[in-house]
Amino acid sequence: MNLLRFLLRRLAFAVFVLFCVLTLTFVLSHLIPGNVIQAWLGKEAGLYPAVAKLYIAKYHLNDPIYVQYVYYLSGMLQGNLGISPSRGFVPVSSVIAQTLPLTLQIVFLAFVMCVVLGLGLGILAARYHNTWVDTLIRIFYLGGYSSPPYFIGIVILVVSSLYLRILPTGGEYSPLLVSPSPSITGFPIFDALIQGNFSFAENASVHLILPALTLALVTFGVITRVARSSLLDVMQADYIRTARAKGLDEGSVFYRHGLPNAAISLITISSLVMTFLLTGSVFVEYLFSYPGMGHYAFTALQGSDYPAIMATVFVFAAIIITTNLVADVLYAWADPEIRLG
Amino acid sequence: MDSKNQGEPTGGIESRVRGAWNLMTRSKEAIIGLAIILTFLLTAIVMEIGALLNIQLTPYPANPLPNQTSAILLPPSLVHPFGTDNLGRDVFSRILAATPYDFMIGFIVVGTAVVIGGLLGGMAGLRGGLLDEFLMRFTDIFFALPVLLIAIVIGAILGGGITNMSIALMVTWWPPYARLARGESLKVAHQNYIEAARLSGQKSHRILVRHVLPNISGTMLVYATLDIGTVILVYSGLTFLGLGNRPPAPDWGQMVAAYNGYLLTDPWLALIPGLVISMGVIGFSLLGDGVKDTLGIR
Repeated sequence: MNLLRFLLRRLAFAVFVLFCVLTLTFVLSHLIPGNVIQAWLGKEAGLYPAVAKLYIAKYHLNDPIYVQYVYYLSGMLQGNLGISPSRGFVPVSSVIAQTLPLTLQIVFLAFVMCVVLGLGLGILAARYHNTWVDTLIRIFYLGGYSSPPYFIGIVILVVSSLYLRILPTGGEYSPLLVSPSPSITGFPIFDALIQGNFSFAENASVHLILPALTLALVTFGVITRVARSSLLDVMQADYIRTARAKGLDEGSVFYRHGLPNAAISLITISSLVMTFLLTGSVFVEYLFSYPGMGHYAFTALQGSDYPAIMATVFVFAAIIITTNLVADVLYAWADPEIRLG
Repeated sequence: MDSKNQGEPTGGIESRVRGAWNLMTRSKEAIIGLAIILTFLLTAIVMEIGALLNIQLTPYPANPLPNQTSAILLPPSLVHPFGTDNLGRDVFSRILAATPYDFMIGFIVVGTAVVIGGLLGGMAGLRGGLLDEFLMRFTDIFFALPVLLIAIVIGAILGGGITNMSIALMVTWWPPYARLARGESLKVAHQNYIEAARLSGQKSHRILVRHVLPNISGTMLVYATLDIGTVILVYSGLTFLGLGNRPPAPDWGQMVAAYNGYLLTDPWLALIPGLVISMGVIGFSLLGDGVKDTLGIR
């Protein structure tokens, strides 16, 4: 009952925050200097009077601002995110439908890498607390999360294209291959697997490795830090002393009683990890010429493609806010004492 | 003056600053971190003074006229420690010239966040009740906004540049400080010296500024110091996206983006500004880790 009420309250808050983001983008988009049409369609707006007319009609740009706001909100809710001048006036929603799965593929792989690397090193650091292993791991994760994603990306690019030429450094798949069609799930790798096109699936997966590794290297430190510290805290708890007193060897105490209890604190930071990975994808996809939504956001920014900037920011924000929601709910579920007052 | 109030810790803000300094110099990694930070800080101050007085303090002009440039794409040497770029500009000079913006923005944004967060959170904790509820829900909303994304939208529409980006970051950076200040001020809100100030008829904003804020400044200061590196990191991302200084004025992130095209032939061009960003931020990370170890926070 309490959990349900918490869930509903948390859900309502997430929806409200999303509404605030939408309102913010609406207000800001009306601050674009100069002619609104020109701002939204680019400097060449005058060359396409028909498109401009369509735009005015579609967004009710001659109506009072509150009417525009209502149309804007209802349009957004129906998935109408405008049209994208930088992509030849195709609907933004279709570009996002095409690019978002690619970004999610990278983020998913990077998330797995983060958990493996972060948790593994965190456990090692806690196990060998205050030894040179701990120090070495600390230097490694501090260096990682103190670096901008593009710096780590450039280091990886230089190393892998000048010295270790094993993994591909750019693109979604080798240009000689053909993307699987028809698209069933929207995720090219899954589509290829479903259709039995294993060479494509393998090729596309290999192209994910370096960008995902870059994201993982700037993010895993968050997990290592929390894993290490919560393990060290847990290992001083009374039940650990009890476990030791009943004669369990140190290894069993650590992995049976220490680790599961320390894992709860990792739920809270998983949303932080997702935020890092998603915002990092803007830089990393550009560097590795990976045509995901981060790349789309980057090129939209360079080309002043306002509808695309607004929409990609909104989609990123929506994913981040949803992950925060999920993490909060998971946390409350795993540890009911904490949030349910 | 404050020390007259019974129960109030003596010494006011100076002793807290001294306490924070002691914290920062107790562990080895914190000292290394502090040394890095002070090096950057000193460079930034010297460069800013040079810029204000219109004296060229960099070895070469950061944005030379075409006929002042040296040879293009020279590798690092004694004359050009970081080499020269595609337009023959000395990379070392450009990095120095960017320091006042790219490093100092951390102090400016965090400083503002401390003030906004301290006032809102301090007031919420002190007054309690409906005002507390309202201020904290307001904080929750801002807390949930993804900082980098909001800054990108603001930059895309209102234009980039250090002023707009500072404002964008200031608007979104304060919520953790409001929460921190509220928690801390709740702790002191029912102490004798606050009650005494209330009974003597002081207005709550006066109590806030005179009694609450000085007493929570220590915790805020430690947290703020550790947070500056994060701002530098986020801003370097914004400059990489082209939302920083207008070229030809240099920015670290913008330099990495601009030199990205020479990665295969002259990799140091993009690597060095990137490394400089990492170094600056690592200074704060080391300091943060050291201070947390000393305090026993894990």
